[in-house]
Amino acid sequence: MLSSDPKKVQRICFANIEVENMNKLEVAKAHGAYAFLPTVLKDFDADKIIDEVKVSGLRGRGGAGFPTGLKWSFVPRNTGKPTYLLCNADEGEPGTFKDRDIMRFDPHLLIEGMIMAGFALGVKDAYIYIRGEFLHEYNVMCAAIDEAYAANLLGDNILGTDFSMNLMMHRGAGAYICGEETALIESLEGKSGRPRFKPPFPAVEGFYGCPTVVNNVETLATVPAILEHGGAWHAAIGRPNNTGCKIFSVSGNVNKPGNYEVPMGTSLKTLVEDYCGGLQHGTVPKVVIPGGSSTPWLTAEHYDVPLTYDDIMKAGSFLGSGAIIILDETADLVAVTRRLAHFYAHESCGQCTPCREGTGWLERVLTRVDAGNGTEADLVVLNDASKHMAGRTICALAEGAAAPILSMLKYFPDEVRAKLAEKSS
Amino acid sequence: MTVLYINDEEVTVPAGTSILEACRENNVEVPYFCYHPELSVAANCRMCLVEVEGWNKPAASCCTPVSEGMKVVTQSAGLEKDRSMMMEYLLIHHPLDCPVCDQGGACKLQDYAVEHGVGRGRYTEVKRLPSDKDLGPFVNTCMTRCIHCTRCVRFADEIAGTGDMGVLNRGDHMKIDGIVEDALASELSGNLGDICPVGALLDKPSHDVSRPWEMTRHKSTCTACPQGCDIVIESRADEVMRIRPLKGGVEPWICDRGRYVYDAFRSDKRILSPMLRVGDKLEKASWDDAIEKAVTMLKGKRVGIVFSPDWSVEGLAAIRLLHDIGLENPKVAFDLHRRDSRPFAFDEGLTMTTESMEQVDQVVILGSDLRQRFPILMQRLRKRANLGKPVTRIGAMHYRTNSEIANDALVRPRDWYAVIARAMDQLKVLGKTAAGMDEWMGKVEARHEAGKLLADALLADTCALLVGEEIRSHEDAAALIHGLDLLMRAAGHAEEGQDGRNLLPSGMNAQLLSAMFNGTRTAAGEVFAAAIAGELDTLLLIGSDPIGDGLFSRKAKEALAKVDLLQVGSISGDMVGLADIKLPAAAYSEIEGTFINMEGRVRVAENPLRSLGEGRPLWKVMMRLIQALGHDVPAVNLTEMREHVLTMAPDFTALKDIWFAGKAQEDFIPAQRNRKNVFLPNVAKMNAAKGLDVVGRYSMYKEGAWVRASKLLAEAGRIHALDDVIVHPDTLAEMKLQAGDLTIMSNVGAERFTVGTRTDVSPGVVFVSKRGTAGDISGETSVDLGGGQ
Repeated sequence: MLSSDPKKVQRICFANIEVENMNKLEVAKAHGAYAFLPTVLKDFDADKIIDEVKVSGLRGRGGAGFPTGLKWSFVPRNTGKPTYLLCNADEGEPGTFKDRDIMRFDPHLLIEGMIMAGFALGVKDAYIYIRGEFLHEYNVMCAAIDEAYAANLLGDNILGTDFSMNLMMHRGAGAYICGEETALIESLEGKSGRPRFKPPFPAVEGFYGCPTVVNNVETLATVPAILEHGGAWHAAIGRPNNTGCKIFSVSGNVNKPGNYEVPMGTSLKTLVEDYCGGLQHGTVPKVVIPGGSSTPWLTAEHYDVPLTYDDIMKAGSFLGSGAIIILDETADLVAVTRRLAHFYAHESCGQCTPCREGTGWLERVLTRVDAGNGTEADLVVLNDASKHMAGRTICALAEGAAAPILSMLKYFPDEVRAKLAEKSS
Repeated sequence: MTVLYINDEEVTVPAGTSILEACRENNVEVPYFCYHPELSVAANCRMCLVEVEGWNKPAASCCTPVSEGMKVVTQSAGLEKDRSMMMEYLLIHHPLDCPVCDQGGACKLQDYAVEHGVGRGRYTEVKRLPSDKDLGPFVNTCMTRCIHCTRCVRFADEIAGTGDMGVLNRGDHMKIDGIVEDALASELSGNLGDICPVGALLDKPSHDVSRPWEMTRHKSTCTACPQGCDIVIESRADEVMRIRPLKGGVEPWICDRGRYVYDAFRSDKRILSPMLRVGDKLEKASWDDAIEKAVTMLKGKRVGIVFSPDWSVEGLAAIRLLHDIGLENPKVAFDLHRRDSRPFAFDEGLTMTTESMEQVDQVVILGSDLRQRFPILMQRLRKRANLGKPVTRIGAMHYRTNSEIANDALVRPRDWYAVIARAMDQLKVLGKTAAGMDEWMGKVEARHEAGKLLADALLADTCALLVGEEIRSHEDAAALIHGLDLLMRAAGHAEEGQDGRNLLPSGMNAQLLSAMFNGTRTAAGEVFAAAIAGELDTLLLIGSDPIGDGLFSRKAKEALAKVDLLQVGSISGDMVGLADIKLPAAAYSEIEGTFINMEGRVRVAENPLRSLGEGRPLWKVMMRLIQALGHDVPAVNLTEMREHVLTMAPDFTALKDIWFAGKAQEDFIPAQRNRKNVFLPNVAKMNAAKGLDVVGRYSMYKEGAWVRASKLLAEAGRIHALDDVIVHPDTLAEMKLQAGDLTIMSNVGAERFTVGTRTDVSPGVVFVSKRGTAGDISGETSVDLGGGQ
């Protein structure tokens, strides 16, 4: 859901999000889209672009927060193989819905970012891997890409330069795991989406064994502003090491859930109370899931935490994709956890032992506990089976699956115990 | 090299090695399920976790490369807890049926459960119940036991090349499935039971029959094809229960043919005691009576000997001694697949190891159904193709290889001259030539474009020719091989160390046989012709089955009707009821003896199974005959027998080193080369041939007396059979004929057979299944086709 910004603070990806028909090239151009692109293609080279992005301090907006400029600089040049740019638009993390708004309201911003990134990386073919359920967004993107081709912004000799790049859309089939970059690559190659172990990293051996960069939609959509205004401009927004703006998808027990782009470092409380219309009940939240359902929970004591990668990590969780889920006193945490466990059991790809067997086991135990048939011994099982799954697998899905359960056991063991069968000891 | 520390011990391993491999190389135990040294890394079982100093979580050692100064810990309280949890996860859905599972006692899951697991699992919810699969006659499935390590899937993809196993579904609904609801298409399918770390995939023929700890293991050499793989024969008392590849042997896999041939060891076709013909029937006799009778068939008689090349080296030398000492000018032959007995410019045997075939720049297969004949060699070429290295093939059929073939051309047997001449043209233009090439080319007018593929491959720095049966059994094979020799010399692939001239043999011990019998041998067809012409009194068949195998079955039948038959061997083959005397000789699994494979590798069997019945080692049977024929016995023990071998083949120093100096094998026995074996093409004969060339199609499940006696392989042969007679549809269209019942006209008359079509055979060729209804036709070189009426 799109929300207006009461404070008129700096916005980057959402700068033109409320403009009518911004998905049309003509309108987008009137609002500055592609205006700086000719300069980039003519006066910039790969090193300059990568340097600007490094200076900007931009960190990946998909969840891991890896510095984008650094990621680009890892791509080996002159390998004799093509380099691929893949945009991760699989947006599957429960709680996250920000990339969707960029694509449906301002598709040309993403396309422009991809052209610039592609130019920096020497890419001939780029793909947007879009979540299968996003049919409308897919159609909007396809139409925008068609317009861009017609305007010579994509295809051969873009804007009369030597640079040529194709951009293709690819729809996923609804698997959460395909948001993991190597599973995304497998899926795009036509195989079932199962993450690869690393090394080798995609930058060296990715799509079809070639150097590959996978970036999130929001990350790529930030690039045009950085190149136009300079890396230093971006670095001055937010906090050191946590620069720029970030879109937060706020949901749960708040009065005005939605997407809000604010400078990094804005406090959680400010975001909730000034932007989201405050909590539905009470004065402090019971649980805050700060970065999508896979991140460990924070509680009332962290209500003031500044929204930066580093501060949230210090508080014991991750900023993730910026999907903030607020739960207040009315939430049944065992039920919430059971629902999440069901999600992860359903979405586990099945290749690693602990995740394949553990997610299903946890779901079944939680279902039993939630129905009032649990025992004290189940709490030990929940703890063991979560703990030894997290960090023992190829990708991070198991960690995400373990996070809610371990958080619940850590902060609210009594709520779980209250649900155990009465006769149990 | 990288230096790292494993449990505080400094070790040095090649850069890029995984932690797990570094541990294995240094005898540090790390548990694992999904890792397999011959397969790609999957890293899915997560059993091989280790701790690395400075890392915040345990690492899967199989997929983590070592780095300089890395400090690895393989034992800690944390890891023990992880391993115990890993076992608990794995055992959630695994049945507790070890007491009835064949894997019990040789099961990683069982061993690790004892070592790392806890006594009692805490899982109390519903269990997964995947259904079993029908994967054909060799692989039994019990999918509830599967732990999803995907070794079988990777095996099917990477080794077998068939990809007929796969992973379906996700999460804990994930299951391993046969993608094709049919018997596995691979000739290597028996290995699946070996690589499965649990009891999900098990050997079907030996299923529910015995337990691993009841078996005695005998190291031996497989003689089912000239690859001569290292095998372990597992027996319970005297009964062979199964055959498996030797762990740590040269090749990690064995083919189904070599594995399931053991079924024949107990077949009713075995010759287990001396037999004498009494009237219409063969009756058991004593050794003394049988030998006495045999002497009357041999002494002063005109004898033809046809023997199998698959006996041990000592046995073969004993045959030569009988030939030299005991008999008067016998005719002798051993290769039922060779029409041309003239010596070749490069004789049978490989100049390189099958392993090194992975490395050379170019490999060219000339006329061979490699997957059927040499499944293990083909597997090496498949690995090569998986790495993107080219394999070129020229032959009468696009034989199925389950592998990428970079360049492929179809030719008829009569086209080989033109193929070679075309390649010579190309080399000559580039200034590469050899003395005699012009003369050879001068005899051939035609040029065939397939020669370009051959010449292109020859221009690489290193090139291996694999010359197969279509050339070796050619009527003018000596001329073709001389032509190929000229080509290889011109291209610089004939020098020591660079020699790429590999002639694929039809049996074991080829190098020794060419050294021992070249000049003495004749073509098997000539022996039978002599018998038919009344020039022989007795045929002595030693392990050879000329009716069941080879190109001369029609002639052999005719010959055997005319002369007396003395059969020495372990198995009767298709000669049941024809012999006048049978003398039992011990099978290859039952002797101490030496074998040389096509690479020239020497293998000495030392702990044989006990002979079933009254069979004696062949060399002893031969000595007994020599003695009974009134001569001094040249050898009374194996050592003396081996000294005779070295007298006959003095250049074979590798044998001497191994036998008498107790050395491990270092040198390979070289294949014979003689560039003076100059034979020029006899094109006129080809031009006089009938319209269509005949190529015999080999089935690994049907060829060879041992194999035919195996019911297990017969079942596989039935499943994998193609039509008995196959031609290209264009061939029929040109003759205005339709597939179905047609007349095949050959030198021996006209017969009707059902003819099928396939587009992967060369036009102008009739493919005849050697063991099918039209099998006898496969002995012809050319035929005409006529309408059905």
